[in-house]
Amino acid sequence: MTTRLRQALYGLLMLALLVGIGPASGTPVAVAQTARSSGIVCTTNPSATFTLTTRTGYINLPDGNTLYMWGYSEGNKPFQHPGPVLCVNEGDTVTIVLHNTLPEDVSIIFPGQSNVLANGAPAQPQFDAGGHLVSLTNVAAKNNGSVTYSFVADQPGTYLYMSGTNPQIQVQMGLFGALVVRPAMGANYAYNRAETEFNPDFEYIVLLSEIDPLLHLAVEAGQTYDVTQYRARYFMINGRSFPDTIAPNYASWVPNQPYSALVRIRPRDPVDNPLPALVRYLGVGPEIYPFHPHGNNGEIIARDGRVLAGPAAEDTSFEKFSIPVGPGQTWDALVWWEDRDHYDPVLNPVPVTPPNEQNAAFGPWYSGSPYLGRQEALPPGTITYNQCGEYYFMAHNHNLAQLVAWGVVNSGQITWTRIDPPLPNTCP
Amino acid sequence: MDEKFRSRRLSRRDFLRWGGILLGAAAGARFLPTRLLNPATVAEAAPLVHSTLAGPSRRLTDEEAAFLLTDPPANLHLAATDGWIYLPPIAIPPYHPDDLAPPPFNGYIFGFRNVTGLTLAQAMAFKGQAEHPAPLFWLDQVDPNNPNDMFVLQLSNLGFVQRPDLTDPHTVHFHGFRHPIPFFDGEPFSTLGVPIGRSFKYIFRPRDPGTYMYHCHAEDTEHVHMGMAGAVFVRPAQNGNTLLYPSGKYAYNDGDGSTGYDREFAIILTEFWAEAHWTDSHIQLPEWTDYNPNFYMMNGRVYPDTLVPNGTRNPDSTLTPPAGRPELERQPLSTLIQANAGERILLRLANLGYRDQSLTLAGLKMHVVGKDATLLRNGTTDISYETNTVSLGPGESVDAIVIAPGVTSLTRYPLYSRNYARVNNGGVSGVGGQVTEVHIYPAGTLAPQTQPNELFEP
Repeated sequence: MTTRLRQALYGLLMLALLVGIGPASGTPVAVAQTARSSGIVCTTNPSATFTLTTRTGYINLPDGNTLYMWGYSEGNKPFQHPGPVLCVNEGDTVTIVLHNTLPEDVSIIFPGQSNVLANGAPAQPQFDAGGHLVSLTNVAAKNNGSVTYSFVADQPGTYLYMSGTNPQIQVQMGLFGALVVRPAMGANYAYNRAETEFNPDFEYIVLLSEIDPLLHLAVEAGQTYDVTQYRARYFMINGRSFPDTIAPNYASWVPNQPYSALVRIRPRDPVDNPLPALVRYLGVGPEIYPFHPHGNNGEIIARDGRVLAGPAAEDTSFEKFSIPVGPGQTWDALVWWEDRDHYDPVLNPVPVTPPNEQNAAFGPWYSGSPYLGRQEALPPGTITYNQCGEYYFMAHNHNLAQLVAWGVVNSGQITWTRIDPPLPNTCP
Repeated sequence: MDEKFRSRRLSRRDFLRWGGILLGAAAGARFLPTRLLNPATVAEAAPLVHSTLAGPSRRLTDEEAAFLLTDPPANLHLAATDGWIYLPPIAIPPYHPDDLAPPPFNGYIFGFRNVTGLTLAQAMAFKGQAEHPAPLFWLDQVDPNNPNDMFVLQLSNLGFVQRPDLTDPHTVHFHGFRHPIPFFDGEPFSTLGVPIGRSFKYIFRPRDPGTYMYHCHAEDTEHVHMGMAGAVFVRPAQNGNTLLYPSGKYAYNDGDGSTGYDREFAIILTEFWAEAHWTDSHIQLPEWTDYNPNFYMMNGRVYPDTLVPNGTRNPDSTLTPPAGRPELERQPLSTLIQANAGERILLRLANLGYRDQSLTLAGLKMHVVGKDATLLRNGTTDISYETNTVSLGPGESVDAIVIAPGVTSLTRYPLYSRNYARVNNGGVSGVGGQVTEVHIYPAGTLAPQTQPNELFEP
């Protein structure tokens, strides 16, 4: 089947899903939701069965560079980075068929899951004839080998999946993704506790990784690479680097990097918008990324797929303004922003005069007005990406030396928390 | 000072209200008489910062009138500029000491200078004289129901002396402040930055006590590392209640005195990568992913200079260096920690370097009561803890209380980076870098502390 035909059929399938027809009976087909321009894109399947195929391809970086990558793709789909976000429900028996097209053995480990089976037997670390560890789990052999993993998703939460074979190369090359287990209480809860309820329209993934381009060039050329010489030059959220991070899901200019990292919410309001957003942070890189969302602290409700509660079930969640997402860790944060000061151009103006064009350097996301939901004229020639008077708060890694793309500053692990005006608004 | 400030603000707001009515009554008038806009209540306030408004006989334009009506005097005035500091003259050729540095200094920085009380024009005298780290300041938690209760921070951009080619705007980002509006968040992409020769006033109405930090967010990778970074904290409304703890000073609104303290010391952790500073003074750019600091600093100094007493800020905004140390004029903040036996010491630690840090206090326990301006308590569940080592990554803060032991003579306890490779200066053997000392004296030796980081001759 040609790629174009496959994409056309996939498009028809998406259309069918969007109009509510649903997949035909027979072999369940995993599907991805595409309704929203940002926010989590779940790959789901009615029987929690997924086929992941290793692919090779290229990603685009904001300095104009392209880099060779490896990745897990769903079924027969083309290369994507990072791997699909697999969403399952608590209690599901999750089955993942790994099909390996790469010229070296590949596997998947599922940190945080218990009793993982490989081809029906307990998944085991692999050793060579000399007793030395060669893989953290059973592999799909190189050049079209397969292995089937399965486990019962018995704990809701946010998890990583990634290669357990030659991981210093394979994970760096892109063999990783996110796994979300939804709790029995429902998809509008992060965990089986009432205080973890969130607005399901506002659910986000922030998957943090980094890239040493020389390692990728070596792999592409079939050369070995001394990983003690590792030095990352690119820093990514959901496989993209700012400003691509804020582009929509499936943006055409990053065709192999489908996942936006834009967090888009509305002001918290006890009547119209009482529930917070949920941001699931995941750390894939080799060091701690201190992630700092402007606008408000995150309420940390869970780490590594376990809700923060004491021995008597007491709530031990806490707020943080710099979230240290470590290697292999996940952190779940409830996120909201309140219009605390109720600034209003008539009833409660800001106590300073908004400066005119001679007295300020306006940023490209400024609306021209301090007030939410208002746009004012900007000086001629000023770029603005502001659409409807929305607010933007930066959310970024606070290791500021990593806010770069190999020499280009103001890039790397940066995204926005976009605050749209309360409904009804004119935002697209 | 704070009470005085609040009454002043109230007057200004009252006047704003009346002014609005008068403006409405005078609708259609092109000019308004100055006297209507400059009553005694405003004249009593701090000097107006824009000299263009001087001249009582001149009529104001509408724009000027609006400006005067809506532009409050500043509680704190920070000037953004460049400057020079002193670090041990370890040879790190060609980067350190910087060959362009005017003696007695040897390292190039960007930074802020405290010019409170000065106009923008007066502050220009301090162009090229940034201090390091950015000045420590603190605010009182506001009454959210009183719209006149606020803190006004004026930022003026003086430009750079060493790099006149850099026309960067600057901002103040209050890191960790909950629920700001972007207009006062100091992130220039989302709103605005302050160009050279201009001022902007940030309004802060803090509701949440705790230890924060602030920094310029324009070209932040460069500007923060170059030194535009400092600590700030918010005092709780519970302060003044002597029933829960005798001093009436608390880190948080704890309701039980568990965060009460007698002395407080704020320490901002930063780093100095000589190559980045040298390339900036020499009109070049570093590759930031090669980041590799040579000096790890506490309050902008390295050991043993961390123990040198505070410099003095004079009313005219000049700085008097610590006695005998003229080269530390631009680094006025000591990190020496002093207390009497039995007192509680609050350590306000914040990290605006780019590396994770761990600080060990040898011989004493730290009770971590707050992190990231959050009391470590959820409802009635206490999640505070005791430790001898606190870790804090970039952008994190820790509030830890240390109880001074019952010594009968001066006893010293080192507080140091547990990453021993950072306990030196520029790679030279011997103790340096992120190290300071806690000095405990017999009870009654030291006078009560009246402001943070205040030190005494025992």
